[in-house]
Order: sequence, then C-alpha cells, then structure tokens
Amino acid sequence: MIYLDSAATSLIKPAGVEQAVVNAMRTMASPGRGGHMPAMKAAETVYECRSAIAKLFNVPEVENVVFTFNATHSLNIAIKSLTRKGGKTLISGYEHNSVTRPLYTIGADVKVIGKELFNQENMLNELQENIHDAELVVCTHVSNVFGYILPIYEIAEKCKDFNVPLIIDASQSAGVLNIDFKKLGAAFIAMPGHKGLFGPQGTGVLLCNSKADTIMEGGSGSDSQSPLMPAYLPDMLEAGTHNVSGIAGLLAGIKYVKEKSVDIIFNHERRLLDKMYEELHGSDYELFYTQQNCQSGVISLRHKKLDCEELAQQLYDAGICVRSGLHCSPAAHESAGTSETGTVRFSFSPFVSDTQLDYVCRILKQIS
Amino acid sequence: MIQYLIMCRSLTYAQKASKALERSGITASIVKAPQALSTGGCAYAVSIRNRINDSIVILKRYDIPTGKIFARSSDGNYSEVQL
Repeated sequence: MIYLDSAATSLIKPAGVEQAVVNAMRTMASPGRGGHMPAMKAAETVYECRSAIAKLFNVPEVENVVFTFNATHSLNIAIKSLTRKGGKTLISGYEHNSVTRPLYTIGADVKVIGKELFNQENMLNELQENIHDAELVVCTHVSNVFGYILPIYEIAEKCKDFNVPLIIDASQSAGVLNIDFKKLGAAFIAMPGHKGLFGPQGTGVLLCNSKADTIMEGGSGSDSQSPLMPAYLPDMLEAGTHNVSGIAGLLAGIKYVKEKSVDIIFNHERRLLDKMYEELHGSDYELFYTQQNCQSGVISLRHKKLDCEELAQQLYDAGICVRSGLHCSPAAHESAGTSETGTVRFSFSPFVSDTQLDYVCRILKQIS
Repeated sequence: MIQYLIMCRSLTYAQKASKALERSGITASIVKAPQALSTGGCAYAVSIRNRINDSIVILKRYDIPTGKIFARSSDGNYSEVQL
C-alpha cells in the first residue's frame, strides 16, 4: 500500500510514536488531578509536550499552548472567542469547513478574498482593499486541497497595521513550514497533532495570544470551588481529562520533526511534487501545480474524462490511497473552479519514497 | 529542615516554576497543596527545602506568578511566610 493521504492524517508514523502511546496507556493517569506517581508522570509528559510545541513554534510562554482534540476544536474556540453576529470577517478563498461552518453558524458577515489559485498578490491586494472595516481575519496557511501556501507573514503584518485580530489555520503547515508565533503576532494559531506533527488522532493544539472564551466547561484540577472555569491558560480551555496517551505520541512525533527539521521535510515533499508534475504534465490529467514557491507537498488533479471518485477507486485497486471529492473545502473548489467535478488529491509525507512515486505515476499513465 | 510550599495557580504554573528553580540549581518538586492552604479548592505547590529567598527572586525574574508561601514546621503545622 502506498499512502498519499497525509493531508487527512498521517497514517505512517515515525518509530517511537506507537511505543509512546502504549507506554502512556500502561503507566500514566490523569494530569492535574492526583498527586501520585502515575498522575505526576502524566503531568510531566503533558508539560514536556507543551514545552516542545512552544519551542517549535516560538511561543514565549508555555501556558499559551493549549491542548485540544483536533484542529476543528481549536478553530471553534478561536473563532467563537473573536466573532460576533454581523461582525465583518475576512477569509481566504481556500478555507476548510472547520473555519466557514463556525463563522456561518455564528452569523458573521463573511467576505471571501483572494480566490485566485497560487496568486499571493491577489490575496494581499484584496486584503488591503477590505481590511479597513474588518473585525477579524481568518486564513489558512496552506490549502488542504491544492497545497497553495498563503502569504501568511505579509497577511499578519497587514492585520497588525490595522489592529485586526488574525486566526491562522495551520492544519497543513504545522511540521512542514516554519511557523513563528511571536513574529506572526496572530491572535490564535490552530493546528492538528495528527498530521504534520505525526501524533495520534484525537490530538490538537491552539496557540493563544488573545483573550479566549470557553466552548466547553468542566473539571480542570484547579480552582475547584469556583463555579466557573479558571480565568487563566491553559486550564481555562482544557476542561475534562486530557488525551494523555495521544499527547505522549504527539511528543514523540514532534521529536521526529525536530530531528528531521521542517526545512528538510518541506524540501522532500516539494521535490516529490515537482517530480510528479514532470512525469504527468501533457497527459490526460489537469494538474493544479505551480512552479512558484507557494505550493507545499499537496497536489490535486482531474482526469479529462474519468470521474474523480472512479479514478480514486482505480488507484486504490492498484494499492494507492488518495482522497477524492471536495475535501471538506467547498470554498476552495469554488475558488479554483473545480466545484462541479471535485479533484483527486495526492499529499506527501517524509515517508513517501521516489520508488513509490514512480509506481504511482506509472499507474496514472496506465489509467490515462 | 524546613519545607517551604510556594502556592501556584495551576499545575502548569507549578511545573513552570519547578523547572525554573531546577535550572537555577534549586531542588524543587511539585506537590498537591493541602486543602487547608488552598483558597479556591484543588491547587498545586512547589516544594523546596532551602533558599526560599533566592527562589522567589528567580520566579520573579522569570515572571512566573506565585501565591502565598508557607513553611511547615517539625510538628506538621503550616504558617505563612512573609518575605
């Protein structure tokens, strides 16, 4: 089996992740609850993971790293803390439903900007035109459908100039691109633990630089006599028992990313992307690709005749796992003009080899 | 030897304080604070055996918030320490 669906989740994990999960399940209890050894061992692991995340993303204060259960959970906290009904909110043309659905549920006045694929200039120009009366900007760092890298540092600077809070969805970029929380100055950065950071599913992270509201209340192991959640991070946003075994696995995944380095991971994935394009351009496939340095290791394509679901099935019959359809991002497909057909998405990881990619291209040509 | 408890607002802050003290060469451990000492219910504290004045200076230098400080006498009773 060749796994090319890492944009959904990292199925292939670094050595050490599984063992860390098993070890945690066998030896760790609930952090912040008891004072006994299994509880304190869990607390130590959670703190170590929090610190590793703070270091990887340059978060000055470790308590501003909040554990959630996935990026959607993180985005819901961030969006619901900063949006109100009727509040003008700018979003890129490449947002996932985890951004658009909370915004529409709240009734925010959403304006989509920067719809042109792989055109960072278009994004920045439309941001400049619309930001003057915006209350919030929410922007993905990388499109989960097309791998389009949004100019997030320039966007962050513009938000600072106009004093508009920024929420960044780093679902596809955490572990793949350099993210400097302090330099960006975003209100919140949301990310999953189970994609580019190689943790287990059920792990997510929210980096906080703004006042947050709770979307869930419960036990925190602190201020127990108060009827309300503690007013300080991370306790305020971490109601209920932590996913300790998941966090232990996430810590092992982050160690791998640090040892390998984000730049090497990106360059490997980008090289595979370029190679795939070289192999397939001019064939029966329409590839959504740019030679510019604004695409990460994710590429979508369409066959000129074959339905994308049928193509994905034929690939799976040949042992290749990809994702077809709208990828929970109808806005991205609308922006790129692929809503009617959807696309087949190939997403790489450090565990995809050249040999595997050669096989994938050979199969695609045969189908063609 | 006197045991000092530096009260912390949460487990994470207690961990942060403990790490900062350890980095400065002060042996510190995290304990659940006695209920009688915690004002809002469950709380954690950093336990140290000496250098209480140095410890407070270090925690202030790292901008780590702390609560009250208690000393435990040989009879097991706690008394608040004013520094």
